[in-house]
Amino acid sequence: MAVYIDINRCIGCRSCEVACQRVHGGHGHINVHYVREYAAVPVLCHHCQEAGCTMVCFTGALYKEGERTAFDVEKCTGCGLCALACPFGVVWTDKIAHKCDLCQGREEGPACIATCPANALSDDFDLATRRARERAARTAAVGGKR
Amino acid sequence: MLDHPVSQGALCAKGNAALEILYHPDRLTTPLKRKGEGWARISWPEALDLVAKGLSQARKKHGPRSLAFLSSSKCSNEDNYLMQKLARLLGSPHIDNCARLCHAPSVVGLNRTLGAAGMTNPIPDIASSRCIFIIGSNLAENHPVISRWIHRAKDRGATVIVADPRATPTSWMADVFLQLEPGTDVALLNGMAHVIINEGLINREYIVQKTKGFEALVQAAKDFTPQRTAEITGIAPEDIVRAARAYATSPASAILYSMGITQHSTGTDNVQAISNLALICGQMGRPGTGVMPLRGQNNVQGACDMGALAEFYPGYKRADDPNTIRYFREAWNATDLPPGPGLTAMEMIKAAGRGEIKAMYILGEDPANSDPCSEHVRQALGNLDFLVVQDIFMTATAQLADVVLPGAVWAEKEGSYTNTERRVQWSHKAIEPPGEARSDSEIICDVARSLGLQFDYPDAASVLDEINRTVPQYAGILRERLEGSSLVWPCPASDHPGTPILHCSGFNLADGRASIVPVSFSPAAEVASRDHPFILTTGRVAVHHNAGSMTRRSPSLISREPDLYVEMNREDAGALDIEDGDEVRVATGRGETAAYARLTDRLKKGVVFMPFHFPGTNILTTDAMDPEARIPEFKVCACNIFRRD
Repeated sequence: MAVYIDINRCIGCRSCEVACQRVHGGHGHINVHYVREYAAVPVLCHHCQEAGCTMVCFTGALYKEGERTAFDVEKCTGCGLCALACPFGVVWTDKIAHKCDLCQGREEGPACIATCPANALSDDFDLATRRARERAARTAAVGGKR
Repeated sequence: MLDHPVSQGALCAKGNAALEILYHPDRLTTPLKRKGEGWARISWPEALDLVAKGLSQARKKHGPRSLAFLSSSKCSNEDNYLMQKLARLLGSPHIDNCARLCHAPSVVGLNRTLGAAGMTNPIPDIASSRCIFIIGSNLAENHPVISRWIHRAKDRGATVIVADPRATPTSWMADVFLQLEPGTDVALLNGMAHVIINEGLINREYIVQKTKGFEALVQAAKDFTPQRTAEITGIAPEDIVRAARAYATSPASAILYSMGITQHSTGTDNVQAISNLALICGQMGRPGTGVMPLRGQNNVQGACDMGALAEFYPGYKRADDPNTIRYFREAWNATDLPPGPGLTAMEMIKAAGRGEIKAMYILGEDPANSDPCSEHVRQALGNLDFLVVQDIFMTATAQLADVVLPGAVWAEKEGSYTNTERRVQWSHKAIEPPGEARSDSEIICDVARSLGLQFDYPDAASVLDEINRTVPQYAGILRERLEGSSLVWPCPASDHPGTPILHCSGFNLADGRASIVPVSFSPAAEVASRDHPFILTTGRVAVHHNAGSMTRRSPSLISREPDLYVEMNREDAGALDIEDGDEVRVATGRGETAAYARLTDRLKKGVVFMPFHFPGTNILTTDAMDPEARIPEFKVCACNIFRRD
């Protein structure tokens, strides 16, 4: 599982950031980046299948647990190798490592998905791809114009 | 709240940060009275005694019309109902709330044209629109949840048109973006009406059966050819035509608007021009159609419904109608009630400046920050003999008070709220207020009792009970029906299901027809001049709320938008040698303020934008008002910008 982002939907309201902070004791793991004044993109851990961060973590604090890239705070030394290894820049260290844990243990699932006012975030791969296909089909049908 | 019909469990950033405000150390926890330059904590009996004395002295010495009351669109229906009842039983017609500063023109304009002031259709209904015309609203930042419904409509192929002087996250959703000059909305709307009439896209059957006044509109719109409209608004003529065609020809079109329409000296005209457009196309009374004023606070709709307005008693009964006075005299067992209209929010503060209003009771509002021309507001409030402010924080307005009463926030009290789509919902009490703070209804009742009035309401439900009897639209919205559910007014009987879509079968006006009220274009009160070459328009950002007394105290919100800034076009900034992040001075005829420059392509040349969540902004704005709705023109004023050095 991962959090899929529909960039066409994101309104850059930063609700996901504040929600993530709320459920993680003030440390958020999702960040909204703005493409000048034209679009916004929430950036967070991709939970890679072959996760660079887990490969460099010598204490095993970061490890794969099924699809999730999990994190054991007790084992983290704060060395920062994970931040160097992550190809997407979504792990960082501030005394210990910080990254998305897909709201482990939270019954309702990831807070960012539940809170996203625009439905831009989802954990449903089929929904994300269906929307993209439909958008492409509509664009083809009207020649990119209305 | 995954099952909530509108939000489906989603929250905006402010909602996610709400707990930070709930438990904030700055919360007021005891009544306070002014003592020299500082404050002394006092007991509730002493505070109530002081308030009773302050209000009754002014009343005795200068008459009941020397009292003024500001109620709050953040407070519950019950709080607002009690507040206006208190004002009127004391004999003062001067009761208003900050809906005056956001949607007063909607109340006036829509009551006149459609016979009901509120969103005509519910929010989820937007998903079934085939064309959504958003004008003067940055809903992606200010009503973020609505964007999920717009996207749902887009998924089904809807066309989205956005008209705004500023490119915003809302315009990211647009298929057609109309970047108009501030204050030219009437010209755009008349121009669209011109195209629709000229190309025969009107719904003639609807016009004949359901409306009156169409011929006058034909005359009024005659001169607004796309070319002329383009000259006034700065929009390309072909875009005006495209927008007009898309709106008129779609099987279901909705218009969403907000403060970009209302906060003008032509606010009422703007609203009427919107409803004209909907009426001539017959885009009304069906799913996916309608006219939707998006309200700015949680209970603007409710505060207006409850009659916390200068010109209306509860249920929009006109305050200048003798029948209204007779009705409420009987309902409230009162010997006499003041006919209206009373002074509006802005007018009462001006009257305080002139010494005509002597004492004020302000509930949960911060006019010292939120009103235009704020230096004058502070002076006027300082001029009062007695000011009592009831709030949760020591706001700029509370700083000017003689007595400050600590109120409760939503989670600490119970009551009903009416959201922007007229949906009435019950809010339960979850926790106790901090310290000695108390629920606002309790405080109002205690103040009323200490003034010798009969205010025997043991709880919010008993107030709602009275509302059921006195407000016809709420007659069937009983406390027990709100348990775990919600109802949309008008709901005239206890077995009525509520009315999500208005005007399905006609209009609540004489002969059941809507009025098409033609409007002519007049420019904003201020235009750019040599001394003030820029047009300043104000608005909101996603992470702050109104005057900011709550959100500027929230660490996770203030860290995201910490300072007052002024957005300006890169070319304009270049000519003044201003770079991104420079500290600049912004000056108008009223005063000047410091801000950080933010350079952008969002705005056309000559237009600058400032958020109004910081105290500096409203030092600048003009108090030019709409002549009918009495709303100040926050959206247009002429300013100049200088480098700091």
